[in-house]
Parts: sequence; C-alpha cells; structure tokens
Amino acid sequence: MFSRNHRSRVTVARGSALEMEFKRGRFRLSVFSDPPEDTELQRKLDHEIRMREGACKLLAACSQREQALEATKSLLVCNSRILSYMGELQRRKEAQVLGKTGRRPSDSGPPAERSPCRGRVCISDIRIPLMWKDTEYFKNKGDLHRWAVFLLLQLGEQIQDTEMVLVDRTLTDISFQNNVLFSEAGPDFELRLELYGACVEEEGALAGAPKRLATKLSSSLGRSSGKRVRASLDSAGSSGSSPILLPTPAVGGPRYHLLAHTTLTLAAVQNGFRTHDLTLAGHEESPAWLPLYGSVCCRLAAQPFCMTQPTAGGTLRVQVSPFLLSLPTHICRSPGFLLQETRVRAGELEQAAGRPFTLSISNRYGDDEVTHTLQAESREALHNWMEALWQLFFDMSQWKHCCDEVMKIESPTPRKPPQALAKQGSLYHEMAIEPLDDIAAVTDILAQREGPRLETPPPWLAMFTDQPALPNPCSPASVAPASAWTHPLPWGRPRTFSLDAVPPDHPLGASRSVAPLPSQRSSRSRGLYNKGPLRTWLQSPV
Amino acid sequence: IGEPVPPQRVEIHKLRQGENLILGFSIGGGIDQDPSQNPFSEDKTDKGIYVTRVSEGGPAEIAGLQIGDKIMQVNGWDMTMVTHDQARKRLTKRSEEVVRLLVTRQSLQKAVQQSMLS
Repeated sequence: MFSRNHRSRVTVARGSALEMEFKRGRFRLSVFSDPPEDTELQRKLDHEIRMREGACKLLAACSQREQALEATKSLLVCNSRILSYMGELQRRKEAQVLGKTGRRPSDSGPPAERSPCRGRVCISDIRIPLMWKDTEYFKNKGDLHRWAVFLLLQLGEQIQDTEMVLVDRTLTDISFQNNVLFSEAGPDFELRLELYGACVEEEGALAGAPKRLATKLSSSLGRSSGKRVRASLDSAGSSGSSPILLPTPAVGGPRYHLLAHTTLTLAAVQNGFRTHDLTLAGHEESPAWLPLYGSVCCRLAAQPFCMTQPTAGGTLRVQVSPFLLSLPTHICRSPGFLLQETRVRAGELEQAAGRPFTLSISNRYGDDEVTHTLQAESREALHNWMEALWQLFFDMSQWKHCCDEVMKIESPTPRKPPQALAKQGSLYHEMAIEPLDDIAAVTDILAQREGPRLETPPPWLAMFTDQPALPNPCSPASVAPASAWTHPLPWGRPRTFSLDAVPPDHPLGASRSVAPLPSQRSSRSRGLYNKGPLRTWLQSPV
Repeated sequence: IGEPVPPQRVEIHKLRQGENLILGFSIGGGIDQDPSQNPFSEDKTDKGIYVTRVSEGGPAEIAGLQIGDKIMQVNGWDMTMVTHDQARKRLTKRSEEVVRLLVTRQSLQKAVQQSMLS
C-alpha cells in the first residue's frame, strides 16, 4: 500500500511549513487562503483522518479474523486516500506558489488554451480469472485455503474500493459486483487498479485480548503515532525525499499484499466487455499469492459531459434543412458525420443580405458536401454558438470514440453489508458491522470527545467481546459518514439479520410465534415475509 | 345495507381416512401468497386464508362451511396473519379431532366493513 511508486507520494522538506503543520498534528495547508476546491479537499482529508482513527480502534478491538480483515481493509483505504489528498493539496499549493494561475481574461478572440470537458468514467463487472494448478489441492491437506481480496481504484486524487471478496480454489474467477464511478475525469485519465489480497487463516500468533489491546492503543495511539511520524519526518529530512509512512498498528492483524495492478486509459474505454492485461506483483513464494491468470475483464464506460449536458441554448433559425434545437450534438451524432471534415464559418453581414448573424456548418457525407446555414438572434448569440461549437468539436477530438454514442452508466448501488461467511455459520448473526457507517460513528463520537485520551475502554468495545448485546437496537437507516450525531447514542447496534428466520416451506412448530419481530427487521424488509415478487396463490386440501 | 352480522362459528369433526384425519375442504391464501389471484376476496390485497373448495358430503360441508369463507381463527389461533403452510398445519394437527373455525362470509364481510366505515 505504501509503495514508493504510488502516485500520491508526498515529500516533505525539513523545516518546511508543511512539516511544521504536520508536527503540530494538523494537516492543514492554510498558509494562503484556500480556494473553494481546496477547502473541499481539505474537508475530505480531515474526514479521512477521522475515519482512519476509527478504523485503527475498530481493528484493535476485533477479536475475529474476518472482522479484522474488513477493518484492515478500511484502514488501508483511508491511508491511501490520505496520502492521495495530501499529495494533491501539496501539488496545488506548489502551483499556486509558483504563480500558475488560470487563463488570462481576454475580451476578444478564442482563449489561449482550450481545455476539454470532463466526463464520468465508470468501471463495472470486474472479473479476474484464476488458474488453479493441481498442486493446490495437495498443498493444504484438505483444508480450504482462503483469501480475502479487494480492488483499489484510483483516478486522479480520487480513490475508491470494491467490497472484499473471499476466494478459494473452488472459484474460477474473482468477481466484483460493484460498479465504481468517477465523476470528474478528463480524457487523459489514468485509472489505476490494484488488487490486494490477504490470507483468511491466521498467519501467526494471535492478537492479545481485545480489551487490553484496545485500552493500550486508545491511550497511546496519539503519542506513539506522533512519535513515529516525527521519526519518519526526521529521517525524511536527512535523506532528502522519502514518502511519509502513516503508521499502521500491525498487532498480529491480517496483512494485505499487492497481488496485481494495471492502468486503464481512454483507449481501454468500450461500450461492452473487454479484457485487459494485469501486471502481476510477486511470485509463487510471495505471501498471499493467488494464481492469477493475468487478465482482468471489465466494462469501462465513459460519458463525456459534452454528450450528456447541454452546453449552449437558445434559438437558431434553420435556413436550409430542419434541425432540432439541440443543434450541435444532433449534428455531430448524425451518421456519416466526420469531425475532420467539418468546417464552421460565420456569415458576414454583407454576405447574407437580410440574413444577419448566420453560421454555416459544412460537412462531407460520403461524396457530397452538405452545408447547413443557421441564423442566430444577435451577434452575441452567434458568437456564443460559434464558441460552443468549437468547444464541442474540441471535446470530441479529445474524447474520441467515447462520443460515438452515449454509453450507459448506472449509478452505483449502495454497498451491501459484509456477507456472512458460510464456513463460520452466522458470523454476523450477533452483530452486523457496516464499516463505513460504523467507523464514521466511532470517529464522530471520538471527535466529540475533547481532552485527554480515554483510559477506560469505550462503550462500543463491548460489541466485540462476549458481553451480552447492548440494548436499543438503532434503526439501520443509512447514515452518510459526514453527518453529525447530535445525540449520544448508546454505541452498539446489534442488528440481527434474520439469518435463521425460517422460510415458509420449512416446518414450523405450532408454538412458535409468527408475528414479525420489529427489532429484527430492517427498513429494507429483509426476511421471510417480503421475499420479492409473489407469484403463487397455492391451494391445499385439508 | 343490512344490519351488522357477526362472524360465523363452524365446528368441524374430522373424518378418519386410513392414517389421516381430513376435514374435506381446501384453503388458499397466506401472507406469502399473491393476494391478487384470490378469486373470493373483496379486497385484492387481503392475504387471509379462504376456503376454495368444499368436498361434497365431507365433514366441512356437514358443519356448514362454504366456499369463499374467510377463516379468521382455528381453535383460537389467528389465521389472518399466517403463511399458507402455517394455516395448513393449524388445521391438520393429528392431536385434534375437532376444529372450531371462526369464519366470515362475503355478504357478512361487506356488512361488517360498511358498519365499520359509517
């Protein structure tokens, strides 16, 4: 995760303002006043830092391997994001300091640099084939060796992750159900995929008693992590440039290893499935080695904004042939339209007597050249139309085949909670951990605590020990991580999934109460009474 | 339209047929069933248990059960909020030779509904 090839490497010069801020425990680059985009990035960075604190504590409190795997994954994603945002902030600050500002305003003429429009990039239906060899069957003496894997995806400074998936030798592919959307990508985007894996079975010594550990970590995390950061800063200063390593509490917990990676660009975009090469990291003797075939299959779609958002409006009177009002995109999507063969000319007043402010678009359709003449309302409107058309043509030249047709992109569905593991039975039967929700809640609660670190175990710790479930199951409405918890919640949301709720075709004892248990039902109506579309109306003789 | 009429009580004495105790009718419905396919219900969202067939000369017919009756209770057990299978099981307990049903009929249902609305 902290490889030196990571794009978001942050270098901190000794004695720099950034180092000073860092030492004080504040990652705020607020030497100059921040433009709005930087404020937004700063806010995201602060959020990730809080999430990270929560993830550390959650990890320390885990008593079971599977919980620890999820918590470690969350922690690693937080770490990656923190590094990425810090790198981006530093880059912007450097650009600002060096005086690179935006385009100089000009009253007339086209802008000096034309930048292409942004777009949405969505990767979905990711499938990574595996290639098990016969030796795999003999290696483990009948035990099913399992791995926990997930993908980290980075585009620009945005990092997203897939859900964690369990893999064993009965699977032929690793499949991820998520579709991951990046909302502001340029045509020169680089989407980096990294596949991380960890062994599900314990590698070595077990962690100590959760309670003791949590107490130790809660009380000492601040000081020790601060010490380590300072130490790494000192070494960074002396060696010149090395990345800041945010400390990870490696207390016998699972370790994820980079298994493979690849980078996808505009050329890889296609409105359908495509197979790309994966660069494998490591070899057979590497930890958590998985026999990857070496490819990744996915659908990488791109929707440039020039195809989906109106950039110009108004009225254009059509002289020659009928057109829709959404003129530019209509023209450009006509069959036979060739960008290179298009010429746009503004009509001069004297040329077209009685037809001022005209605009003609010529295009070659096969052997014919067709010219469409359009009339704008005013000179200013004409200018705007010309500008819009030039921008459109430029965007299309940059986004290339993404402008041939609008690729369908579905909004990512909300992340499902981690599934119960069949091997262990109902792991999540007693409690459900939705890492994003819960870590946010933990961190928010922690953030509200001021003053010294807590010496006594926090109340939520009871969730991970053998103490009885806490009262007051909260309704599991989806909580946005940024929302503030204004009232103190009894931390502990033993949401019981009705995993052992008996479906209708199972025999039920007469004594069993049949009324649905309200505390066990989620707002999504899980359970036996709403199993999807009901098609039958059975009749039975008695 | 008509004065309110209470639900009917129907006492069925099961008939022994070999190893089985039968009542001589069929049921449809249940909270796990699609209520829109119920031909007997007034309200097509009603997921209750309905009598869909009555065997000629069987114990249910003798007891006065009619096709289209909605079964509200069996021996005191509620039948308005049960699955199809639960309903069936409640009626076919081997330990019970007599079942006392509380049923409502279409015309009665309408009357009861309207009396509740007014």
